[in-house]
Amino acid sequence: MKLRKWYWLLAVLVALSLVGTACGGAATATPASTKAASAGQATEKPAATQAPAPTEVPTPEPTAAPRVLKVANTATITTWDPVKSFSTEAAYMANIYEQLLRINPPGSKERFTPLLAERWEHSNDGLVWTFYLRKGVKFHDGTPMNAEAVKASIEAAADHGGAAFIWAPLDHIEVVDDYTVKFYLKYAAPLDLIASSLYGAWIVSPKMLAAAANDKNYFETAAAKGIDGGTGPYMLQSYTPDQEILLTRYDDYWGGWHKGQFDKVLVKIVPEAVTQQQMLEGGEVDLVTRIPQENYEDFKKNPNYDVFIEPSFFNYVGFFNTLHPPLDNPKVRQALSYATPYDDIIKIGAYGLGTQSRGPVPQGVWPWSPDVKQYHYDLDKARQLLAEAGYPNGIERHLKLTYASENATEAAFAPLIKDAYAKIGVTVDIVPMLWNQQWALAKADPAAKDTQDIFLLLYWPTYSDAGTDNLWSMFHSSEKPFFNLSYWKNKDFDHLIEMAAHETVTDPKQAQKDYVDAMNLLVDQAPALFLFDTKAIFIVPKYIHGFKYNLNYPFVQYFFYQLTSEK
Amino acid sequence: MTTTETTVSQEEQLPRERPWQQVLRIIVRDPLSLTSAIIIVLFVLVAIFAYQIAPYPQEGAGRTNVSNTMLPPSAEHWFGTDRLGRDVLSRIIIGSRPALMVPMLVVLFAILIGAPLGAIAGYKGGWIDELIMRITDLFLAFPFLLLAMVITAVLGRGLTHAAIAMVISWWPWYTRLVRGVTISLKERAFVEASQAIGLRDSVIIWRHILPNTISPVLVQATVDMGTVVLAMGGLAFLGLGSQPPHPDWGLMISQGRSFILKQWWLSTFPGMAIFIVVLAFNLLGDALRDIFDPRQYQ
Amino acid sequence: MQRVEFLIRRLLTSLIVLFGVSLVTFALARVVPSNPAALYIGPRARPEEIARVRHELGLDQPLPVQYIKYMEAVLHGDFGNSIATKRPVLEELKGRLPATLELLFTAMFLAVIVGVPLGVMSARWQGKAPDLVVRIGSIFGVSMPAFWLGLLLQILFFRHLHLLPLAGRVSSDLRFTHPIHVITGFYLIDTVITHNWVAFKDVLVHLILPALTLAAYPIGLIARMTRASMLEVMGQDYIRTARAYGLPDFLITYVLALKNAISPTLTVIGLTVAYSLTGAFFVEVIFNWPGLGLFTVHSLLSIDYPAIMGITLFGAAGYILINLAVDIVQAWIDPRVSLN
Repeated sequence: MKLRKWYWLLAVLVALSLVGTACGGAATATPASTKAASAGQATEKPAATQAPAPTEVPTPEPTAAPRVLKVANTATITTWDPVKSFSTEAAYMANIYEQLLRINPPGSKERFTPLLAERWEHSNDGLVWTFYLRKGVKFHDGTPMNAEAVKASIEAAADHGGAAFIWAPLDHIEVVDDYTVKFYLKYAAPLDLIASSLYGAWIVSPKMLAAAANDKNYFETAAAKGIDGGTGPYMLQSYTPDQEILLTRYDDYWGGWHKGQFDKVLVKIVPEAVTQQQMLEGGEVDLVTRIPQENYEDFKKNPNYDVFIEPSFFNYVGFFNTLHPPLDNPKVRQALSYATPYDDIIKIGAYGLGTQSRGPVPQGVWPWSPDVKQYHYDLDKARQLLAEAGYPNGIERHLKLTYASENATEAAFAPLIKDAYAKIGVTVDIVPMLWNQQWALAKADPAAKDTQDIFLLLYWPTYSDAGTDNLWSMFHSSEKPFFNLSYWKNKDFDHLIEMAAHETVTDPKQAQKDYVDAMNLLVDQAPALFLFDTKAIFIVPKYIHGFKYNLNYPFVQYFFYQLTSEK
Repeated sequence: MTTTETTVSQEEQLPRERPWQQVLRIIVRDPLSLTSAIIIVLFVLVAIFAYQIAPYPQEGAGRTNVSNTMLPPSAEHWFGTDRLGRDVLSRIIIGSRPALMVPMLVVLFAILIGAPLGAIAGYKGGWIDELIMRITDLFLAFPFLLLAMVITAVLGRGLTHAAIAMVISWWPWYTRLVRGVTISLKERAFVEASQAIGLRDSVIIWRHILPNTISPVLVQATVDMGTVVLAMGGLAFLGLGSQPPHPDWGLMISQGRSFILKQWWLSTFPGMAIFIVVLAFNLLGDALRDIFDPRQYQ
Repeated sequence: MQRVEFLIRRLLTSLIVLFGVSLVTFALARVVPSNPAALYIGPRARPEEIARVRHELGLDQPLPVQYIKYMEAVLHGDFGNSIATKRPVLEELKGRLPATLELLFTAMFLAVIVGVPLGVMSARWQGKAPDLVVRIGSIFGVSMPAFWLGLLLQILFFRHLHLLPLAGRVSSDLRFTHPIHVITGFYLIDTVITHNWVAFKDVLVHLILPALTLAAYPIGLIARMTRASMLEVMGQDYIRTARAYGLPDFLITYVLALKNAISPTLTVIGLTVAYSLTGAFFVEVIFNWPGLGLFTVHSLLSIDYPAIMGITLFGAAGYILINLAVDIVQAWIDPRVSLN
């Protein structure tokens, strides 16, 4: 008697849950079926599946099987809005959207590649920049790309973009005619560099910009339907959050298409390095963006792959809190700079994939110079300096070091700093925190006792000018610190970089000289540890050609348009 | 592991030997429980003498050894070394302290908070009972690990916060348990007698009720130790517990995860440690439950 | 009448508890000194942008006001948008639930078809070798950390034997060669319905390791419970009578005894489902399974408070409902059970 009731109950529960999920599933299934029915007309890109519904082909494939590039990437999407974009989604933005021009890797014949602008010029005082646009380019939604579109995009970026600050020199934009745009600046600035930025420089369909002005989630809902506002070679076909992104080729791309290029790009979002490696070895993906670093050696020996090791834009900096004694004493900071085991940090933290920094500007980026000094690991010098500063027996107070717990590299080398400083009598307490908590702590009240003494940071410039970016953001005095997490104020330094910034366009040689003086002053005063510039590793199977890393675009490992496959 | 409401049986037997002697005898006789008791004692000893036993105690605590990274198990390093060159065996030994001591404290505090509340609720009844029961309902409404995870994520990661989160998630179980026992005890002669004499409620609860809840609580606590060790290992694995460079078994498993394809020893040995400890507590708890619950049989 | 009164009382209490849960979770999630606005825009935002987003998200208003606004929205079915994915929390939960449920159901199915016979066997040969093996095996299963077992299985079956995939729910190749037409969200069912046998095999193969990992604990528990209640039933008079009458052993064990022993096991099954929900967190993390557990862990680690609130409310509501249902059914079936 009892038994039957139990069986009934189980059966009812199971049936209920099946029905429940079927109802939920059916709701997402119906748009798919209607799409499949209307598939016949699809010459434009097909509408995508609604975001929660996973793997689904919305239209029947064209007669030839599409050539698909499969990539495993760790980069997630913070936002699909090209104006607000300021994070890792740049990896995908750079394939969907385009700027006016793109800066080439260091050592290229030409400094820039024209994209939406065919050519450009500037006045002698650097205050007026004129861009001549490419004709006949259309956005993915069909609107024509012209000067109005450029004006709308840049104004939106300057107004509320994630990287709005790069347009600080801009005064106003003038549309001369359909294909000519003039930028009027408040002060001389290298607008070609700024307009090639990875953030805040995308040219977006004005129709979509207008829609987004009324609906702040517009681009997210659009992305869920597979709609984007770019001019780039690939279009967004579908997006499943935290799982995958499917791009499909834009047949009317102004650059044209030739044999061997990819029709579709399937990006699987895989946060685990070890899973990415499995997918690569198993042939499930063609390209990866991160695998466990020891295992790169194996791939070097593997004849089926090419391994590229390239310098990158990222560097690691450790800010000293100059408001906390004894770190307000430059001698103490210099001592700690001598006590830091740079080579071990690179070896352990980055498996040898790095070079010790010269100041906060990474190698390969303006205004890096080999004339900038470095510290070297020298415990005796460190002790001597400490004694001169009045701490012959080391520092009694514990120093609090914070780093972002999401960053495995920092987690790996922070203990090395702790152990090294212990040798000169300085005790470091390591406190990992979520990066936004680490940040909140650093900004809340810099002088407070609870605020960190050493802040480890992974940095990269927003565009290829580390003078106005790295040097300014990290070390120019400011009342409310943004990236100046050493809270350092030095009038001489400020003056030098302000001068140099203005001279960058009008007198580059002088600008470089001034920057070098500024950087040497910085290294000498040591408000921070300049740890190392990282290297990027790429494993490319031999059947894929055309790969060339561009360190000016840090999160963009691959420009899919450049790649072709033998298969 | 479900809570059983056990009724205490010792006082109804005419004791020829003290209860804990009886328990010991039964444990020693059964090979499984004997082994598990020995294992637990061994681990506790290891935890107490960790710094003396560990071959590389400084590395166990976190000091790096940059020349020795990622060595496979060998004579010098029985369990190999990790990414920072630290001896894995030493890390496990030093890590046995937080792995054992903290769950013990967690269970202890959960009992200290939960048991008196349960006794009061069961004894007084009425609105006090309702109130306490609703509060425990509130805490028990969370899928257990979720509450601990939310608290830890929110308070900030670290062993202390994880322990606090566990205590907060765990005490309601003891309240329920003790309340059940109290309710059944309430009707008994010796309680009525105490009331007739005129003893105050608090004295009755303290002197008569609570002591009689010790055995079911003890059984539950032993079984719970296993669950708490597992849960704290899980929290650490997710990154919500101890933070580097502290040695913590769950954290070590998590850190070794990216390297399982080649450096398998990084995750395997700490996991084995957790497994053995939990196994021992579960076996022991089983044995105790068999002893104290007359409805079960051998 | 008493039952209706009971039902109403329990419902009211459940609502109050749910309300309390929302209050507690909200307080917790908002007390933390993090910076949800920064999470929203990304790591490089300027202070002005962060301030602007704070205002947009309503984060600069006093806490009680935020709570009231939130609860108002919830009562209209709006759980807010996840800060990380910018999409409605409810949609995220709905989208990921089938993956977790499929994993759970497969694991529970495995647990029952393996655990029950093992328990019966163990009771049948009590004291002998099979009993010992099952007892040890089941306590192993109950003591094994799920996150360790999963890794071990990966090392064994992926790295050494090359038999099973490392992670994921389905091979990415399949997307173009044999795409799965999603109807219920349960890939096993969907592939069968659409006769997509290649995909079916692939889905099954990806399910094996995660389901096995998740099933270890329930198998152990169910085996033990079955054994215990079988032993209790088999010691009873009517069994001895049946034996005395010479009924075949097989019939006695599997028909007579099991029928009556199964009831407490069913209760345990219900409890282990709840426990396995938390086990699913770890299994999904290890196998990169796109379900609710993985989403929960990510949300917790990045303090995505709308997502955390949504998950907790959802989870608590489900939990409460299940407990309520079990209580009601128990009371309905067994009038001896006190309705208090």
